[in-house]
Amino acid sequence: MYEAYALGALDPPERAALEAHLATGCAECAKSVAEARWLVSQLAYLAPEAATSDMLKVRLMQTVRSDTKAKSSSPVSTGATTTASGIPYWLSAGIAALLLLTLYFAWDAHRLKEQLRAANEQNQRNEQMVASTENERAVSQQELTAMQEQMAKMRRENAILTDPSSVKITLAAQKIQAPQMVAMWHTKYGIVLTGQKVPMPSGNRVLQLWLIPKAPGSKPMPSVTVRPDANGNFVILVSNPPAASSDTKALAITEEPAGGSAAPTTTPKWVGAMS
Amino acid sequence: MFLAAISPKDNREASPDAALVRLLLQNDVGAFEKIYDKYSRIVYSLVLRIVQQSGPAEEVVQDVFLQLWRNSTQYDAARGPFVPWLLTLARNRALDTLRLKSERQRRLENQTDELFSVVVAPQYEKELDEKRRAERVRSLVGQLNPQQKRAIELAYFQGLSHSEIAAELKEPLGTVKSWIRNGLIRLKEGLHTAS
Repeated sequence: MYEAYALGALDPPERAALEAHLATGCAECAKSVAEARWLVSQLAYLAPEAATSDMLKVRLMQTVRSDTKAKSSSPVSTGATTTASGIPYWLSAGIAALLLLTLYFAWDAHRLKEQLRAANEQNQRNEQMVASTENERAVSQQELTAMQEQMAKMRRENAILTDPSSVKITLAAQKIQAPQMVAMWHTKYGIVLTGQKVPMPSGNRVLQLWLIPKAPGSKPMPSVTVRPDANGNFVILVSNPPAASSDTKALAITEEPAGGSAAPTTTPKWVGAMS
Repeated sequence: MFLAAISPKDNREASPDAALVRLLLQNDVGAFEKIYDKYSRIVYSLVLRIVQQSGPAEEVVQDVFLQLWRNSTQYDAARGPFVPWLLTLARNRALDTLRLKSERQRRLENQTDELFSVVVAPQYEKELDEKRRAERVRSLVGQLNPQQKRAIELAYFQGLSHSEIAAELKEPLGTVKSWIRNGLIRLKEGLHTAS
């Protein structure tokens, strides 16, 4: 009985009966169950040996180290303070965001890393320009603003992906052979939607995200559109979702004409429930 | 909470990774890496056996170790040895994935179980390396009759109940219960004798 309970094999009535008894505080039965859990855990060794990819450890350790750094500074701090090494916090946050995104998509992290490097180089050039003439300063300011906006976007993505209060929503493919998508929804910072090896929409059509409201009879609320890259990958940030997560029961993805639609014109290809 | 009635003393002493886990609780990255290096193989093997696909299996393994890192305080040495706890967590996560449960559902349904599950190693249990432990368990389960082994595997790796296994194997419910009960008892006795 205890072994079957630890194994999860008891049918609901038997399980309920045993749990009701355990709830009375029977220490002897509780100890038997605990010992049975150990016995059952040994069955894991029946699994054929397999090894994880090297990339998994790389991604995991990057995330862990990024977590450690994030604990020492606010993930969305916009102050102009610097680290002990003199590097501005906003730049540290950007690098942390890069590392985290590597966890999800190596390709995307590489792309963003290149963008950051280019942005830093551009920043240096801009600073030289600012020092030269008023006109050049104006141009530099525009580029700096663009770069700061990009960094702010990365910080926001970083916050969504690392904050424990973010809710993970898995969107399963509906009637098509395709990998699932993953969305992380933070009530304050928005949604990060990611996809890998996603089939390319036909022609110039796009994938569109919809928020399905909880309220009966409510219509799906349109959100962002995206086309995956040549490898079927994408990461997209929804800074201002059209509805609150508390009012949303599911996320859905449909294929729509370029530019998106006000209402779905096709049946969802991916759906993920909020709860 | 009823499980807190069990004395923690023996478990602490039986835990072979107590020092590493203590460092993990202090957010020691090096300790986390050592734990990953030591146990990612068995965790991944278990998860892959359950979910059958390498991509989702790696995602589950990643979730398990990130949960370990971010919520290491969930593991309480007083509640039992570390590795069985980790394997139980990994199995639950993998079965959730197999059943296509959402993360939120999993949190609602199983978090309490995971946090408060107590695992007690028997007195005869020795500290074995993972390879020897695997050889011992495989040898003992290999001695069971094929149907017994199949029934236990369906329960453990697919999360099926007695009734579901009986339907799957087209055998009477009572027979399936006996197979599983007797099979696990033989495994327990075998582990005891081998120690």
